[in-house]
Parts: sequence; structure tokens; C-alpha cells
Amino acid sequence: MSALTRQRLSLALIWLALLTMPYWMNAVGGYTELGTRVLVLGLAAMALNFLLGFTGVLSFGHAAYFGLGAYGAGMAIKYLAPSTPLAIVIGVVLGTLAGAIIGALIVKLRGVYFAMVTIAFAQVFFFIAIRWNAVTGGDDGLTGWHRHALDLGFGKIDILNNDKAFYYLVLVLFAIAVGLMALLLRSPFGRTLLAIRENERRARFLGLPIEQHIWLSFVISCLFASLAGTLFALLSNFIDPHALHWSQSGNFVIMAVLGGMRSFWGPLVGAAIFVVLQDYVSSHTANWMSIIGLFFVLVVMFFPRGVLGMLRRKAKS
Amino acid sequence: MSDKNPLETKVSRRSVIKAAAAAGALQMGAPFIGNARAAEPVKIGLDNPLTGTYAAVGKNEMIGCQLAIEQINAKGGILGRPAKLLVEDSTSGDAGTAVQKARKLIERDKVSFLLGNVNSALAMAMAQVAYEKGVIHVVPGGHTDSITGTDCHWNVFRICNTTQMEAYAVGPELLKKGGKKWYFITPDYAFGHTLQAGLERAAAKIGAVKVGGDLTPLGTTDFSSYLIKAQAAKPDVIIFLTQGNDMINALKQAVQFGLEKRFHLAGAQQELEALEGLPPEARIGTWVFEWYWKQPGVPHVAEFVAAIKKKTGRVPTARTWFGFASTWTCALAANKAKSLDARKMAKALQGMKLPPEVGLMPEQPFFRAGQNQLIPTLYVGNAQAKGPGGPDDLFNVTEVVKGTDVAGTLEESGCKMVWPT
Repeated sequence: MSALTRQRLSLALIWLALLTMPYWMNAVGGYTELGTRVLVLGLAAMALNFLLGFTGVLSFGHAAYFGLGAYGAGMAIKYLAPSTPLAIVIGVVLGTLAGAIIGALIVKLRGVYFAMVTIAFAQVFFFIAIRWNAVTGGDDGLTGWHRHALDLGFGKIDILNNDKAFYYLVLVLFAIAVGLMALLLRSPFGRTLLAIRENERRARFLGLPIEQHIWLSFVISCLFASLAGTLFALLSNFIDPHALHWSQSGNFVIMAVLGGMRSFWGPLVGAAIFVVLQDYVSSHTANWMSIIGLFFVLVVMFFPRGVLGMLRRKAKS
Repeated sequence: MSDKNPLETKVSRRSVIKAAAAAGALQMGAPFIGNARAAEPVKIGLDNPLTGTYAAVGKNEMIGCQLAIEQINAKGGILGRPAKLLVEDSTSGDAGTAVQKARKLIERDKVSFLLGNVNSALAMAMAQVAYEKGVIHVVPGGHTDSITGTDCHWNVFRICNTTQMEAYAVGPELLKKGGKKWYFITPDYAFGHTLQAGLERAAAKIGAVKVGGDLTPLGTTDFSSYLIKAQAAKPDVIIFLTQGNDMINALKQAVQFGLEKRFHLAGAQQELEALEGLPPEARIGTWVFEWYWKQPGVPHVAEFVAAIKKKTGRVPTARTWFGFASTWTCALAANKAKSLDARKMAKALQGMKLPPEVGLMPEQPFFRAGQNQLIPTLYVGNAQAKGPGGPDDLFNVTEVVKGTDVAGTLEESGCKMVWPT
């Protein structure tokens, strides 16, 4: 089996698994909303990985754009109009705009300084959300709204009461987002990002505008993170400031590293492991975080390329 | 691995780790297979804090639930089927997790009843899920008014008092013992906001005034800056509305500052868990308890205390009773409606009185129709370093207040209930 056919085969397997998820989820002890969560958080982790794994820049504040997308969507439905597509658009625009502005301020920073400043900006949004009781609902979260059925003109799709319908809506948006990311990475732009990741100084000597590239990569990453955020809010019909907290940013990084940040699908695998582990273990013990922490330590110590990286190496040997 | 050492033993370190991980994963998997098989029992899902600032009170509610389950099963179960309690940790302040767990209990485990939450904000978020899914939701101990007020739902019931009821009950005593100038230290979320608003309303009625206040984030450990501000306002009473570990930290620090010598330190809602966590010199002030284990002359209370003592070695607290009463409410509703249909059970609960062996109060508590709020008795009194009833007797009840006297009218609650057709 050549490398190409193997790659195609695994791609087909991934999509087959995602397409049929709602039908085998219950049989293995899961439920449809768990599958939707995996997709949503997987998308967020893949968006982060666009920056972390393919541009080589670590953002520790992606919860900000995720949360802004979520709050944008929730507040659009609550205060503007009861429309799910409008909510998604507003959430994404809000998150991307914030990413564009903040990105422009911080592209010159590198390494730990970049990470620190992204955390700082994310915490600004967290405190706005937790303090502005009248608009965001404060620590209680934003309640009193829910997603609405999709009106296609010729008929309605009830994504509110039908979990499977909502899952497939998320899957379609996920597929579009992932497809776009893959296309971007194959384009000359994506190749340039890889060059920056591998050796920034050499790329600069080649005359590449490094700052613009990192900024654009940051904005693209924020765009998909905020898309994930809108879907996260719509999934629970609820959003609270914890989605903006730095620990949420940390969870995204954990997912990306757990799954393997050098591979395109790694973060999705990481998100699946994280979400399912959290869901199962927390039913059995209040100390579920230590189990996840232990698992993370084991992965980082023994499989530094993540779960998917380990499987790859196995396949090659 | 091409560079294999021929002397290497067959079992590598890596495969040992893998085997261990696989064995571990199997442990996780097995119970779920078990769950799927035993579809027979009626499931009650408890989504409550087991970690964080409300861990202690959350666990006591769980113990109450467990005792109720044992009693229900000993008395024939729910509609002849055994009752089963499923417990999920909602965390103390992360509403997103509470919502996720509520959906998990309803979606995957197909619970007939949802119980929780200690944190009012989490309780409200869960109520929204339960309403969306049409499942009976009993809130054991989340006090904010709107749960059975402006945001009330036909399927959401509450055992503990509203913050307004607590405020009206304790207000006159605060005025009498402390004075008329009140300063608030309030936790910054739903519960704190409504409790303070309730006390301000009570103050207006009896002629007390607010001279200042601060909102403290949930989980605050250092209250010194707030306490310095409070002193500067020169109040008669400093009112602590924080709960859980926040209450313990705030009161401890106030006493370390020596504030109790200059002001009356008091509050509204107080719990045995918090008093147990305080050093004796900080067990002071005027408070309201929602249930107390020492109720001479009230039938069945002694048996309940003995049963809990046998289970845990400690006396039950108000939280234990909340969990106990809310679990019993589920069984009583189903058995009265002779059905597990949520609408029929909700109808059966309208105006229902809790029987004496569940109510455990001088007046039989009842669910007020049209609001789904339990109207119980309240116990106003003062905290004490050591009581005549042993090391657990940390509260001295001076006045027993009837719930009907402080509950206000149905119109005042703001609840406009809409039933599904």
C-alpha cells in the first residue's frame, strides 16, 4: 500500500466515522450531544493548531475568540433577531474582528511573550463578561435564549429539538472550515507559514513579509475558533464566562498537543480523547482532572508527537 | 523499530504501559455497559457540586438523597420499581459543566428526575435545560428568587427558601440586635444579587438603611480590602451574604481584624457546614437557618438525625434535609400521579404537603401551587461557639418563623406559569 492510498483511506475512514457518529454513539455509551461537542471543540483545537502547528506561534488566549463568537451568537439571538444563521455570522464577525485588531498589536512578539500577551487580552474579555451583569448576565451566564429552526425557504429544519439535525449542521460547517484550512495550507501561503515555522530568520532573508503572514494566520485561526464558539453556544443554548477563561485556552492547547500538533487531524483526535475522557471519568470521580492531567503527562513524556504522531510512526516502521 | 536489540526481553516497558492503560480504560468502560443492561429502575439524576467552594454542602445534599433512596426502596420504590440515584459533579461555579452534565443525564441516562444545584446560577442554567427537555427538575438548595419567580417553569420545583423569604425572616432580628445602618458583603452572582435586593426591601419595610456594600467574586479568599472599606462606612451591622468557603474566609478574617468588637457581624443565610468550618470565636452573629437538627417535639426528626448519624457520624444539616426532601418529592409525585409523565407529576405536586416523616418541621411544608415553591419553616437565631447539645449544636434558635408569613403573595413572586398543551 503506497503512502498516498493509505492517506486517502484514513481520510475516508475519518469522514465515514464522523458521518455515522449519531448512529453508533449511543451503542458505545455516548450520546449525540457528546459527538457534537467533540466536533465543536475539535474545530476550535484545529483552528488553534493552524497557528500553533503550522505557523509555529503559540497562542494561549484562543478562548477569547471562541468566547466572543459564543457571546456574539447568544446575544444576537437574545437582543437582535431569532435567527440561527444570523447568530453564527455575528459571532464569527465579532471574534474575527477582535482577532484582527489584537493580532495587529502583538505580531511582533515571539515565544513566551506572545503567549503571555494573548492570555492578558483573553482575560480582558473574561472580566468584561463576568462584570457586565446587565448585558452578559455576569457569572450566571447568558440565559433566556435558544437556537432556532433553520428556515430554508422551502422548508424548515428543526435543529432545536432534533439533536441529529443539529449534529449534521455542525458537521457541514466543520467540513467547510476544515476544507478551507486544508486548502489554505496547500496554497503558497500555507507553504510560507511552514517556512516561517521551520526557520523564521531564513524566511525573512528570503524577503517574505513575516509579520503580515503571522497576522493573517492569527486572524484565520481566530475566525475558525470563533466559528467553533458560536456552535458551542448554540449547542448548549447557554454561554458563561468560563468559555472565555484562560483555562479554556489551556484546554485547547492540551487537545492540540494530545492529538499531535504536527498533523492536520491530530487536534480533532485530541479533542475527542479530552471530551470523552472528561465525560466518562467525571461521572466516576470528582478528581477527574487529575486523570486527564496524568494522561497528558504520559502522552507528552512517551509520545511527544501526540497520539496521531505515534500511530503514524507505528505505521511507518 | 529496525534496530532491535536481540537480547531485549519480549515484554517491553512500552507494552507494559500500554497494557496498564488498556486495563484502566476497561475499568471506565465496564460500568456503562452495566448501565445499559439495567434499564429497569427509575433514575434520579443529581447534578451538584462535589468540588470547589460548595463541595461540603453539595456532598451533604447527596447524603440526604442517598438516605431518601434507601427509604423509598424500602417502602416499595417508585411505582413499584426501584429508585436509583445517578450523581454527576457540576463543579461549584462552572455553569457550562452543569449544563453539559444535565444534558448527559437526560440524554444518555434517560433520568426521570433532575436534581440540583447548590449554586443558584447553575440551578437556573439547569432549569432551562430541564424545561427544554420537559423533565421534572427539583432544585434542592439554589436560593435565587427567579427560579420560582420571574423565570419559573411548570416542571421546576424548589425545596429551599427564596432569598426574599430569608431576608424577610431575618430582617427584624438584624434591626433589633444590630442597628439600622447596614453594610453588605455580597457574592457577585445570582444568589448574592437577589439576597441583597431582598434585604434592602426588608430594610425599607422596617426602617433600616444601606450605607454601602461590595460585590465579591465567587471563590474570593482574601477579604481584607472589603473589610477595610466596610469599617470606613461606619455601619451598625456588617452583613455577610457569602456562602461556603467564602463565608468561612470572610468571617475568619473579620474576627482576626477584631471587627466583632465594634460592629454586629451577621447575615441572612447561615449553614451548619460553615459554622463547623469556623474557629469558635468566629461563630457569632444573627442568622437564619433553613432547617435545624435540634427541634424538640417535632415528630420523626430524631429518627432522621439518627439515620444520618449512622451513615456519616455527623448530624444532618439543612443541606442533608434539602437532598432528602427533594428526592422524596420525586417519589411522592410519581406515586401520587401514578405515572412518570412529567406533566401529570407536576400537576400532582401543585399544593402538595410533604408528609411529616419527610417534612420534618413544626408546620407541614407544602408546594405553593402556581409557583412550585416549597413553603417551609425558617429558624432565626444566633451562632454559638458551643451549645448545650454537644459539639454539633452551633446554632441557637430564638424564633421559629412560619414560611407563609414571609413568602409574600403569588403575584409578588412574579411567576406566571405556562403549562404545555
